[in-house]
Amino acid sequence: MVTLWLWLFSFFFLLGLLCTLAFQLMCLVDLEYDYINPYDSASRINRVVLPEFIAQGALCFFFLLTGNWPTFVFSLPYLCYNVRLYMERRHLVDVTEIYNQLRWEKKTAVFKDRLCYSPSLPFSILVAFKYFSGR
Amino acid sequence: MGTENPGRQQFPARPAATPFAAPPQNVMPFSSSGPLVRSESSGFRSTLPAGHQPMMPPSMHMDGSQVSGFRSPPIARFNDPSVPSPPTSSVPATVGPFQRFPTPPFRSTAQVPLSHAPPVGQPLAQPPAPSVSFRTQPQIPLVPMGSPPQSLNSAPPNMNVPYSSPDSTVPAPRPNFQSSFPGHIRLQSNADSQAPPIQSPFSAHQGGYAPAPLPSSSPFLAHPGGYVPPPPVLAPMGLQSRDQMQHFGSGPPIGSIQGLMEDFSSLSIGSVPGSIDPGIDPKALPRPLEGDVEPKLLAEMYPMNCDPRYLRLTTSAIPNSQSLAARWHLPLGAIVCPLAEAPDGDEVPVVNFASTGIIRCRRCRTYVNPFITFTDSGRKWRCSICSLLNDVPGEYFSHLDATGRRLDLDQRPELTKGSVEFVAPTEYMMRPPMPPVYFFLIDVSISAVRSGMIEVVAQTIRSCLDKLPGFPRTQIGFATFDSAIHFYNMKSSLTQPQMMVVSDLDDIFVPLPDDLLVNLSESRNVVETFLDSLPSMFQDNMNVESAFGPALKAAFMVMSQLGGKLLIFQNTLPSLGVGRLKLRVDDLRVYGTDKEHMLRLPEDPFYKQMAAELTKNQISLNAYAFSEKYTDIASLGALAKYTGGQVYYYPSFQSATHGEKLRHELSRDLTRETAWEAVMRIRCGKGVRFTSYHGNFMLRSTDLMALPAVDCDKAYAAQLSLEDTLLTTQTVYFQVALLYTASCGERRIRVHTAAAPVVADLGEMYRQADSGAIVSLLSRLAIEKTLSHKLEDARNSLQLRIVKALKEYRNLYAVQHRLGGRMIYPESLKFLPLYGLAICRSKPLRGGYADAPLDECCSAGYTMMSLPVKKLLKLLYPRLVRLDEYLLKASTQADIKDLEKTLPLAAENLDARGLYLYDDGFRFILWFGRALSPDVAMNLLGADFAAELSKVNLYEHDNEMSRKLMRIIKNFRDSDHSYYQLCHLVRQGEQPRESFLLLSYLLEDQMGGANGYVNWFLQIHRQVQQNA
Repeated sequence: MVTLWLWLFSFFFLLGLLCTLAFQLMCLVDLEYDYINPYDSASRINRVVLPEFIAQGALCFFFLLTGNWPTFVFSLPYLCYNVRLYMERRHLVDVTEIYNQLRWEKKTAVFKDRLCYSPSLPFSILVAFKYFSGR
Repeated sequence: MGTENPGRQQFPARPAATPFAAPPQNVMPFSSSGPLVRSESSGFRSTLPAGHQPMMPPSMHMDGSQVSGFRSPPIARFNDPSVPSPPTSSVPATVGPFQRFPTPPFRSTAQVPLSHAPPVGQPLAQPPAPSVSFRTQPQIPLVPMGSPPQSLNSAPPNMNVPYSSPDSTVPAPRPNFQSSFPGHIRLQSNADSQAPPIQSPFSAHQGGYAPAPLPSSSPFLAHPGGYVPPPPVLAPMGLQSRDQMQHFGSGPPIGSIQGLMEDFSSLSIGSVPGSIDPGIDPKALPRPLEGDVEPKLLAEMYPMNCDPRYLRLTTSAIPNSQSLAARWHLPLGAIVCPLAEAPDGDEVPVVNFASTGIIRCRRCRTYVNPFITFTDSGRKWRCSICSLLNDVPGEYFSHLDATGRRLDLDQRPELTKGSVEFVAPTEYMMRPPMPPVYFFLIDVSISAVRSGMIEVVAQTIRSCLDKLPGFPRTQIGFATFDSAIHFYNMKSSLTQPQMMVVSDLDDIFVPLPDDLLVNLSESRNVVETFLDSLPSMFQDNMNVESAFGPALKAAFMVMSQLGGKLLIFQNTLPSLGVGRLKLRVDDLRVYGTDKEHMLRLPEDPFYKQMAAELTKNQISLNAYAFSEKYTDIASLGALAKYTGGQVYYYPSFQSATHGEKLRHELSRDLTRETAWEAVMRIRCGKGVRFTSYHGNFMLRSTDLMALPAVDCDKAYAAQLSLEDTLLTTQTVYFQVALLYTASCGERRIRVHTAAAPVVADLGEMYRQADSGAIVSLLSRLAIEKTLSHKLEDARNSLQLRIVKALKEYRNLYAVQHRLGGRMIYPESLKFLPLYGLAICRSKPLRGGYADAPLDECCSAGYTMMSLPVKKLLKLLYPRLVRLDEYLLKASTQADIKDLEKTLPLAAENLDARGLYLYDDGFRFILWFGRALSPDVAMNLLGADFAAELSKVNLYEHDNEMSRKLMRIIKNFRDSDHSYYQLCHLVRQGEQPRESFLLLSYLLEDQMGGANGYVNWFLQIHRQVQQNA
């Protein structure tokens, strides 16, 4: 039962994380195609940056606590990157330079997306395996 | 409106919540004895009580609603030229089915014989028929030119041209020759190359070869502007053009290297790497002593193009494929100066379509221009950029003559001129055109008072009141600040202005928002009284703090409804409230580390956010900084950068010495013709796209520059990239559209259109290169690089770029011509290495901490980001002229032309007996040689001639020589009004001042760690030769 909760918990966190990333990506793409203006785009993205960081950090911590070492190691680089950005106060998108950052931001968002999937895959397999074998 | 300023939202509520007169916010009437109010400032006190009552206008609520109802549309929607319709429709990506069509329009409109251009895909073995006539050309030079035949005979062995073939006696032209323009051919034999005046012997030849023997047989040369794209046919196999071979590699090489004329310049360099003797004649190095030369070729080719002062392409030959573009290692792009000052008689014509509406392409929103073609007996027109067929509106219809030209062509400037201005109807307005608004935010802390800045500023503004553009609609407002913010009520009904002090910096609000910004013509007297009393009001101010951030926010609140121009005068480091800054320069260890670039970026995100808000509300900010200490121009300048403004920096300002400069530049700033609430977009033909923009502005969408205020002194750069792998058209059109509000209140669109040929040959791109535009773009890229990298990295990448470009060029020609150890470079880019050095040694990129104070570097960086090409080139390679001979000449009428002789910037040219003037467009330096005859010095300086020159001011004395000098200086100043050149005097050997002022700017000398010209040239040459 614990494993199920564990799985559910991390599943929804991951889902949330993916959603924020997809949202950021969407804002960037909209900006690129001129559907929204840079001010709106930047403020929308900046609104979800911190939640994203927190969710990711919590997830990481959670993996660590529950002893899912491989998944933890997988998501560690992502965490480090986020922490570094935050420490350098570069985590927010800059309206004035948003068009110059556009390509890079899009790349990181896509990459983070991938990175989100990667820990989730072994994790879910592992958990599913544990869950089913435990029964 | 997620980024709405919270202050603005709060604002309407405030007066209701806290009645104005009961001030927790310390809104003090001027006479109240609050600690912040100077009781000495006498002039105002008397009037206060009366004026205090109307301070809580009920209209404030209305204001709030106005804000939302009136302002938001321009924010939410991009008010760009193309958008009355939703922005999606203007996405230029909709290039559709017409892609495949070659552009026929060209033939009918332009007189240029492009029709001779062989289609790109021409089979190799069949040279186009017309070329027969001029295939004989290359033979002729065989006779006059002595040496080259050797190189001919030793031509690469794989030239398996059958001499028995029918072609052999009339050898096919070398592509390089064939494609050159007559005036552009540089002829040079190996033996000749060392001649001291650089390429002059060859320029004498130019054109002399071909036309003389060929009066009849060369129809091509008869058109000097005739453009014959290089038939990519005759490339000697394996020698040069990988690219051409990709497309045409199947044919047998029928060309032989008969073309003896080389269209490049070369320079013998006898050194081996590491040898002591540089083996290079410094005199033979190319130098831009005549200043900037605008490219003429394109204008000849397309006479209807806009003038190069508005738009300059880095190369007028657009590469036809991505692979070719990749081999062009220099930036591909354009420098746009949309409002450049036109000489008298050449002004941009204004066209008013009135009822017809402005004629634009349905699909790509291109404006009507000289390159469109009319078909269907005048009922339709084909867009030059996207080649869509559009209907001609009934009112605009005109019949065509036999050649397809409209009969009313001579009455239609928009169809004959590359630059026109359309009067925009109401669809192009999101709100009524704004009046010109000037708001002044003046620092009145102790250092500002001591330097005398306030006095100069007040006087200058007062003297400019009559000349401010836009009378009678002009609006004006003032605020001053030290540790508190002082507002001035200048309502026209008052006789004297009222001062209101806000000292709560955490929660800024604006008292009396309606009367702070007043109509100048109505409140003229009040404004004048204010300006007269401003210097005396604060003369005993002892406050050292600076609440710049809150003051800026307050100014923003005042201006946010209208927009306009905000001029800030800052004398100290902002120390209070939001946006306070630290003394960052103290830590010398940062230099040379990865964190170094942070020093050149705004420290506090407040500045960038504020800049974004300002732009959104159509406010342009010009920053004037005066401090002798660190003021963090990097942060202040960011405000100007993203709002289309400008940074003026007067280090250690003293009104006695710098006053004149400030006076001139401020009045220029106030009185020059300004375009308000502008947006600019550059459209270009399909297949190419502008990808990045560089300059002082903020992008509002991927290709739309928001420019709250533009004037003639601002230029913007953009880089192009090719979207398709292969361009099918033969011409690419560019159109710059600037939608703005003129000071008179009319909404206008200024449109510049230009065409450029598409070529398949790299050599042609080099030939058509415009080094001025390239240097301008390179310098902007380098300065941008310093914002994210170390200075050294920025310099290295610039150098690498130049080396790559020259190496590629060398690969084109070197093997073929056995140039061995010689440096070769295209004639058009002969100054590129020198300008590259100049960029590396310019203030924003030079050295490290010791070389220039950080503030000066940053302000120079911001300035260079917006300079037009000519001014930038002058700054990079200043003018050095010798004056004493001219001054001693007896004749009074000796013409100033004698002074055109510019000297190379090297210390060896400074004769100890001479008097020299150094002019970089921003300052003059008058250098007195040690052995200069005392008479001259005495005449020029009067009694001061023996004194220390740093303290001496130059002014006119009562003798002929002094008058002459002043006339020269005035003459030089008149050539460029955008800045005032302050004259610094320095005597030879007066260290360290001499080296600080002048010697370190002598570009060609080695100085500290920086290269001299000769070394730099050799270094580049060595790098080019490495695995070349």
